[in-house]
Amino acid sequence: MEAEKVIELAGVEKTFRDFWLRPTVKAVDGLDLSVARGEVFGLLGPNGSGKSTTIKMILGLLGPSAGSIRLFGLSPRSIEARKRIGYLPELSYLHPFLTASETLHYYAGLCGLDRTTARSRATQLLEMVGLEEVAGRAVGGFSKGMARRVALASSLIGKPELLVLDEPTSGLDPVSTNEVKTLVKTLARGGMTILMTSHLLADAEDVCGRVMIVNHGKAVAEGRIGEIGSSLNEFFLAKVGEGRDFKVAPFLQ
Amino acid sequence: MRKFFAIARATALEMACEPLALLLTLSAMALAVLTPVMHYHQFGEASRMARDAGLSALLVFGIAYGVFCTVKSIRREIDSGTIEMALAHSVSRAQFFLAKIAGAAIAYFVFAATVASVSLIVVNGAEIGGRIAKRTGDVAAVFGPSRVFALVAMVGGVAFAAVLNRFCRFRFTLSATVLLLGLSVVGLVPYFDAKLAARFLPVAAELTLPALVFIAASAAFAVRWRENAATTAAGGLFLAAMPLLGNYYLSDVLSKGGSLPLWHPALAVLATLPSIAAFAWLGVSLLEGRDVGGT
Repeated sequence: MEAEKVIELAGVEKTFRDFWLRPTVKAVDGLDLSVARGEVFGLLGPNGSGKSTTIKMILGLLGPSAGSIRLFGLSPRSIEARKRIGYLPELSYLHPFLTASETLHYYAGLCGLDRTTARSRATQLLEMVGLEEVAGRAVGGFSKGMARRVALASSLIGKPELLVLDEPTSGLDPVSTNEVKTLVKTLARGGMTILMTSHLLADAEDVCGRVMIVNHGKAVAEGRIGEIGSSLNEFFLAKVGEGRDFKVAPFLQ
Repeated sequence: MRKFFAIARATALEMACEPLALLLTLSAMALAVLTPVMHYHQFGEASRMARDAGLSALLVFGIAYGVFCTVKSIRREIDSGTIEMALAHSVSRAQFFLAKIAGAAIAYFVFAATVASVSLIVVNGAEIGGRIAKRTGDVAAVFGPSRVFALVAMVGGVAFAAVLNRFCRFRFTLSATVLLLGLSVVGLVPYFDAKLAARFLPVAAELTLPALVFIAASAAFAVRWRENAATTAAGGLFLAAMPLLGNYYLSDVLSKGGSLPLWHPALAVLATLPSIAAFAWLGVSLLEGRDVGGT
């Protein structure tokens, strides 16, 4: 029996427009994608390839210019669908004036959790990300890594069925990166569906079951990690290209 | 409703942590407390000056507080990306926008309660001082202990908040806001005059209505425009609406020793609600129609 499709994108396009509605950039161009329940799916691609735009359309933050998006079989703007999602954006967007504990209570409130559940989950998650000592400090004064941990804890407070991670290891040191990868693997083993983007191909290789490579808003390759053949790094470069050399000589003269 | 309250609470907390909000609160308090000290009035008019200055501070600084802090709060959500985190949860855009307005209104009421309390202290103190001065010929008595208390409350509240921040890591602006409100309300105990309060407070309450309209308007503008443009648009609306606010009537009623007839606040509320509803609808429509987190 085929597993339930958690995310389904068909022919999705996104064109950004300026104030006068003139098209400025086509960020996503005819993307088809599907993620089944329990999968860890990696969306890979160079900077500006349309990964974050795709994720934001899946979350209902951006409206597609064409095509259709279904989340748990529903529209991404539907409250019912979004009840089941946790989201970690590329940059840790946090209210700087709230403490770490207040931040988690805020997101617990947005998930509709009662006070007792919110308190116990906030305590567990702060302990999990190693921030219980600074729970009462405003997150505005946190380092990038600490803010990342708070954002990660916030994305998990509602115990989501689908976790969307945009560059989850961005700004983390190697030790914290390892911890996040271990966490993602543990959550996946527990049955959580995970959609993640990453620039670090080794991370994706360690964590993802299936990947899609996007470039200029289009899917250029898709496959299971074990079936790609060579390493993900070589596969990625073959599909996206080696890039160009910086012409440094004239500048140095 | 939990989601609504979570957003409203965070917004109120954010505004109470905003340095500009504290600055506006202190400025409004200073205007109410210090205006009668300026010798621009006849002897015996200190109480009227205190009352008019308090009410003017409540109106003008209240609108400024509502506009600046609401625009900042909404724009910060959009520009910093926290709105993405919120809307990725099961929160509708309408719920988010209305909760932001509610949170801004809660913070504004803390401001209004502080300024109204301090004004009541000063007005009553000036009336008592005026009577003593008339009887004894001691002109300085007009600026008696009520004003000293109000000044000490302002400086002391801020200083104690600094101490709490230094030694207990409490958030300075939040502590100062809470202390200023607390001290203003405590100061009312020795200076509370039920008759004066019954006349003054309905007028003060009516003056909060324009600020609520401006909170809804500036929130709607901030969804569409950046901070400076949204503030300018709200400022333009203020200039256009100022002659229509009709506050001379309120001042006149109080000056003649009367109080507001019941129909007046009721009519003011009826006139205000459609404006708030219209701007709330505009804000919700603009937020529903816009991309969040686009490039």
